[in-house]
Amino acid sequence: MVEIVFLTPFITGIIAFFLPKAISRQLLVATGAIHLFLSLFLWKNRPEAIFKSYFAVTPEGLLSLLVISLLFFLISIYTVAYLKESDIQKENIFTGSMILFLSTMTMVTLSDHIMVMWIAIEATTLASAPLIYTHRTSASLEATWKYVLICSVGIAMALLGSVFITLAMDIGNVDAPLSFSALTKVAGELDPMWLKAGFVFILVGYGTKMGLAPMHTWLPDAHSEAPSPASALLSGVLLNCAYLGIFKTNKIMHAAGLNDFSGTILIVFGLMSILAAATFILKQTEYKRMLAYSSIENMGIIAFGTGIGGIGVYGAMICMIHHSLIKSSLFLSSGNILLGYGNRFIENTGDMVKRMPKTFVAFFGGFAGISGFPPFGIFIGEMFIIVGAFRTGHFLAAGIFILSLCVIFAGFANQVMKISFDDFKKGDFKKGGSNKIIGLKERASMVWPQYILLLTSLVLCFYMPDTLYQTIIDAVTALGGGLK
Amino acid sequence: MILHPVDTILSLVLLSVLFSFGSSRLPGLIKVLAFQGIVVSMVPFFIGHDMNGGGIVFTFVTLLIRGIIIPMSIYIAIKKVAIKREVEPIIGYHASILCGLGLIVAATYISRQLNIVSISDYKLLFPTAIALLVAGMFLLMARRNAIAMVLGYIMMENGIYLVGTTISIRARHIVEFGILLDVLAGVMIMAIILQNIKRTFDDVDTANLRTLKE
Repeated sequence: MVEIVFLTPFITGIIAFFLPKAISRQLLVATGAIHLFLSLFLWKNRPEAIFKSYFAVTPEGLLSLLVISLLFFLISIYTVAYLKESDIQKENIFTGSMILFLSTMTMVTLSDHIMVMWIAIEATTLASAPLIYTHRTSASLEATWKYVLICSVGIAMALLGSVFITLAMDIGNVDAPLSFSALTKVAGELDPMWLKAGFVFILVGYGTKMGLAPMHTWLPDAHSEAPSPASALLSGVLLNCAYLGIFKTNKIMHAAGLNDFSGTILIVFGLMSILAAATFILKQTEYKRMLAYSSIENMGIIAFGTGIGGIGVYGAMICMIHHSLIKSSLFLSSGNILLGYGNRFIENTGDMVKRMPKTFVAFFGGFAGISGFPPFGIFIGEMFIIVGAFRTGHFLAAGIFILSLCVIFAGFANQVMKISFDDFKKGDFKKGGSNKIIGLKERASMVWPQYILLLTSLVLCFYMPDTLYQTIIDAVTALGGGLK
Repeated sequence: MILHPVDTILSLVLLSVLFSFGSSRLPGLIKVLAFQGIVVSMVPFFIGHDMNGGGIVFTFVTLLIRGIIIPMSIYIAIKKVAIKREVEPIIGYHASILCGLGLIVAATYISRQLNIVSISDYKLLFPTAIALLVAGMFLLMARRNAIAMVLGYIMMENGIYLVGTTISIRARHIVEFGILLDVLAGVMIMAIILQNIKRTFDDVDTANLRTLKE
C-alpha cells in the first residue's frame, strides 16, 4: 500500500519523457496533486507496507513526506508559469526528471532498510542531475559534474558506513533484519566500535548530500545553476532527505547509549557549516548563491540542534519544516527576479519594490522568515536550540552559534536591501547582463505559491494541529528530545 | 605462513594499485581497472559463504558488468571521441607511486590493528579493500582528466564492493545489487556529462571547469 506513493510518480515521470510539452506540464501538476492526496491519506491511516522489511511509515518520514508533497504541488504550479516565461530546451526531460526526483525522494522518506535508504538517496542524485544541467551552459555543466562526482563519492562513504553497521551486528551476534527500526530495538547488543565507525562514515556520506561543511562545495554551484523551481526542490526537500538518513542512524546511536559521541560530532559539523556560511555569505555577488549558503547555514543549525539533544531536537525539527517552506518560496521568488532582470548578479538588480512589488513582498517576507524574525517558525526553532544548548552546558558552542547567526543576518540583509531598494542602473551590465528591461508580468501563479508557503509557515507558528505536534513529538522522543 | 589463494590474487590487485598510480595513459588505466573488477567480483566465490544458484548467477553478472562491460564501454568511448590519452597529473607519477607504497603499508598496519574475526583467514582482504578505496580517492584528487576521475571513482567502488561482499554475509545480495546499480547508473550519467564536457570545451581536462568557485 505504502509503495504506491512513490510508484505513482515513478510511472508518470517515465511517461512524461514521451509526451508533448503542454501535456507534460499538466501531468506535472496532476502528479503533484495525486501525490499530495496520497501523502495525506498515508498521514491519516498510516498503513503497513507490502514489503515490510524494506519500507515502513515512521513519524520522521511522514513529516518529510508531507513537506515534500506540499512543496512539490505548489512548485509544480509555479513551474508551469515559469516554463512559459523561460526558454528551456527539451522541456520533457525537465518535467520528467522533476517527477522522477519526487519519486526517489518519496522513497527515501518511506524506506526502513539501511541499504534501500542508501539506494534511494543515490537515486535522488541521479534523478536530479539532469535538472541542474537544464540550461546547457558550460557553467551548468560544471555544476552538474561537481554535483554528481562529489555526491557519488560521498554516498559511497555512506555505503561503507552501512557495511560497518552490518559488521557491528555480526560481531555482536545480533540476528535481526537490517532495518533502522529493528536495529534501534537491539542497538544495545551491537558492537560499539564498529557502530561508531559506521555512524561517522554515514554522517560524512549523507552529510555531503545534506550540504554540511566542509563537504558542501557542490551545493552553491548546483543551486545557482539549476532553474529556480529545481533549486527550490533541491534546497527545500532534498537536503531534508539526506538529513533523514543521518537522523535515523542517530536514533540507533541513541538507543545504543552512544549519543554523546554522535552528538559531539553533529555539533562540530553543524557549527562548521554555520561558520562557513557566515564567511561566504558576506561577499556573495549572486543572489541565488546567497540563498544556497543560507541553506548550508540552516542545515548546520539542524545538525547542531540534533547534536544538542533534548529540546534542541524539537527545535531542529521545527527548523527543518520551516526552512523547507520558506527557502523554497525564496528560490521561487529568485526565479521571478532572474526572469525579470535577466541577470543573476545582485549589482545588476535593484528597485524591486517598485518594479516587481508582488515578488518583493514574497522575497522580503521570505528573508524575514529565514533570518529568524519572530512571527516565523525559524525563530522558535532557533530559540529552542539555543535554550537547549545552554541547558546542556554548551556555552561556547551556543556563543559561536549566536554570533554566526548575527553575521549571516547582517550579510543577508545587506544584499536583500540592495536588490529591493537600490536604484536600478540600466546599461551597467559589466558581468554578462542582458539589455532586457524588466518585462515580467507577475502572473498570479508566479507569486501565489510563495505566498501560500510563507502563510503556511506563519500559521504553523500560531496554530499547530494536534496530529502534527504529536508526530513531531513521536519523531524526537526516540532521540531523547521533547518539550521538557 | 601459508597464503590462501584469495590472498595470492589480492596481492596482484595491490600491485595493480601501484601500476595505476604510475600509468600516464588512459588505456593502461582502464586495463588495470578491468583486472581489478574481475578479481574483486571473483573473490566471493572463494570465500566460504554458501553459494546458491541465484547467488552464482548474480556474481557472474557482476563480473561481466564490472570486469568487461564498463571498462570496454569506456575504452570504446575514448577511441570514438579521440580524447587526449594523457591523465594529466596534478601530483607527478613518481610521487604518486611513493604515496601508493605508503598507502599499502598504512592499510596493512590499520587492518592488523582492527583484526576482524570473520575474515581473519584472509590476510590481504581488508588491506586491499582500504588500499583500493583510498587509491580511488587519490586518483580523483590527483588527476585532472575527467575520465581518470571516473576511473578513480570506479576503483573506490571496487574497494567498497570488496568489503561489502566479504565482511558480512548479511544482506550481501542487496549490497551487491546496490553497488551494481550505483556503478552502472553513476557511470552512465558521468559518461553523458563527459560527452557534453567534450563537446563544450573540446577536451576533458577539468581545468576548464574552474569558473564556479568562491
